Amino acid sequence: MTTFIIRRLIQSVVLLFFVSILIYVILNIVPGGPFDLLKLSNPRLGQSHIERLNALLDLDKPLLPGWYCPKEAGVPLPCRLDQGRYLRWLGKVVKGDMGQSWTLKPGTPVLELIWGRLGYTVLLMGLSTLLAIILAVPIGIFSAVKQYSVTDYIVTALAFFGQSMPTFWTGLMAIAIFSVALGWFPTGGVRAAGAEGDIIEALGRIFSLGRTYPELAGKELATILDGLHHVALPTLVLTYFNMAGWVRYTRTSMLEVLRQDYMRTARAKGLKERVVILKHGLRNALIPLITILALAIPGLFGGAIITETIFSWPGMGRLNIDAISVVDWPVVQGLLVIEAFLLIFSNLVADVMYAVVDPRIQYS
Amino acid sequence: MTATTAEQLLGREPIPVSKPVSQWGLAWRRLRRHKLAMLGLFILIVVVLVSAAAPIIAPYDYEEIDLRKPYAPLFTPGNEGRPVHILGTDALGRDIFSRLLYAGRYSLLVALITTALTVIVGTIIGAVAGISGGWVDTLLMRFADLLLTLPTLPLLLVLSSSLRQFVALQNFLGSQLSVVIIIFVLLIFGWMGLSRLVRGSVLSLREQDFIAATRALGGNQARIIFGHLIPNSLAPIIVAATLGFGGVIISESALSFLGFGVMPPTPTWGNMLNEARGAPLDYLFTQTLSPGLFIFVTVLAINFLGDGLRDALDPRLKL
Repeated sequence: MTTFIIRRLIQSVVLLFFVSILIYVILNIVPGGPFDLLKLSNPRLGQSHIERLNALLDLDKPLLPGWYCPKEAGVPLPCRLDQGRYLRWLGKVVKGDMGQSWTLKPGTPVLELIWGRLGYTVLLMGLSTLLAIILAVPIGIFSAVKQYSVTDYIVTALAFFGQSMPTFWTGLMAIAIFSVALGWFPTGGVRAAGAEGDIIEALGRIFSLGRTYPELAGKELATILDGLHHVALPTLVLTYFNMAGWVRYTRTSMLEVLRQDYMRTARAKGLKERVVILKHGLRNALIPLITILALAIPGLFGGAIITETIFSWPGMGRLNIDAISVVDWPVVQGLLVIEAFLLIFSNLVADVMYAVVDPRIQYS
Repeated sequence: MTATTAEQLLGREPIPVSKPVSQWGLAWRRLRRHKLAMLGLFILIVVVLVSAAAPIIAPYDYEEIDLRKPYAPLFTPGNEGRPVHILGTDALGRDIFSRLLYAGRYSLLVALITTALTVIVGTIIGAVAGISGGWVDTLLMRFADLLLTLPTLPLLLVLSSSLRQFVALQNFLGSQLSVVIIIFVLLIFGWMGLSRLVRGSVLSLREQDFIAATRALGGNQARIIFGHLIPNSLAPIIVAATLGFGGVIISESALSFLGFGVMPPTPTWGNMLNEARGAPLDYLFTQTLSPGLFIFVTVLAINFLGDGLRDALDPRLKL
């Protein structure tokens, strides 16, 4: 087992290394740089200015290790070998420095930008993932146990619908129905107009206050409730979408278990149906769900680009698309590498947990 | 002397022998019993036909602007004897119903081409990996793993916005640039699942007795690949391609919705939703409903069909 974990760990690090190369190269190989927008808005900006600005950002250096021929005021200087932008960037990232934003918030460290958005994404994704799991597992199990019943058909149909409805449509329809027509929820954003703080700041204050929080928690209650009011609709949209897949997965997994010989044995032993289903069935059916849980980790921190965009929710997904729109590659690189790391990590977690839980699986 | 059958000797009526049914015939029979799959197939055919016949059916041209009539509600009568706007009009007074039909052509065509290319590329890579084995297999599958580890949606956005910057491409492709780019990027991030599937199928088939028998009977490598490996892998490929077709429609719509996919004036269901998003809140419902409904119904039909195909083509998988 230990050898297995160590081997997978080494594989993961190697994979992450190659992924980071691929991400860096894809982002940097295309034409267009951080000063394109500047050039559009200021026609007096000449090519030599752009080149000087690029040099400031290291953009005149080669991407991968190779020859670098600097120019001083148009005069070529002797070429020298350069380690390349990728390796320089990687060296910084390993030390925990993701560089600075180019265009979104020029000069701000990327990690600071990400840190400011993380709370919103964790709140939204955490709520919707939790809700989806709490609802999907029992519904899926019930649907499988009562296979071919009316409930089963309705559940399966709703799950099919959920999987076929893109979130950008359900999101817009939810706004049109629940916000515009019924007026139950705000159309987007984090806080009501004129509110002083938002839910993340309030939660942050409560947690940082330590022991005195019971008295102060009351003061923050209104802010938190307002935040929950805002997060409700995007949460609902994401919950339905995630649930759809998970219900079908749970149902399939349970149906598979129900056909096993040990279920027949359990019944033949004269166990009560409830015990057979819950103790022998459910516990085995939950094993494949570990994968689902583990694979939800990246989304938890990576956010949902589409839903966050529709509901103007200032999370990681929104940061990502905003950064892409203004060619802010340092921010995008940071986000993508973090997401890739989480994806690889969650795969590792899934594999290891699987091995721990299911003794039938042998890793050599 | 005529041949005498056993039935004639026994003085009985000949036993009717049913025509032999091929494996595909059997699958078709099973599919026909699958009500939802048939419903899906029917809806899909209707959507395809209606979109293909857009120039005949559509009451208006998709680019015809009427600035006096923005955001008209459903069933607004047209001007001076012109046809009624069944689904209303958009921000520029263009007939939504007509636009939806034309958008269907682009959305379906993009999805169809992307799926076809994905199947071809995925099958070739998977088959090569499975048949060659060794370092070729390792290299190809590691590369697939690598691509699967990349965060897809953000990179799709990056690629489709960056590729547009290439001047050479702009000159070469002109107004169809965004369509070609989206097919290309969806292909790059789409082939891995299929190639893994084909590789797995090839690997397990390679060890089967009938392959050994073919080899023993003197069948060459080409006969094994094209006569046995690929036909026997076809069922899972068809199922994956069908479900993938639905996935591509959603991906293309998502990219176009975010403004990184097919660009206006070429209408697709996704970029119509993008335009609907800019509508005043009071019109949001009527503007959003129909394009999304087209995506939803089409994808739902495909999912039904794919599910039915899975049951029909591989009875062992039936749950």
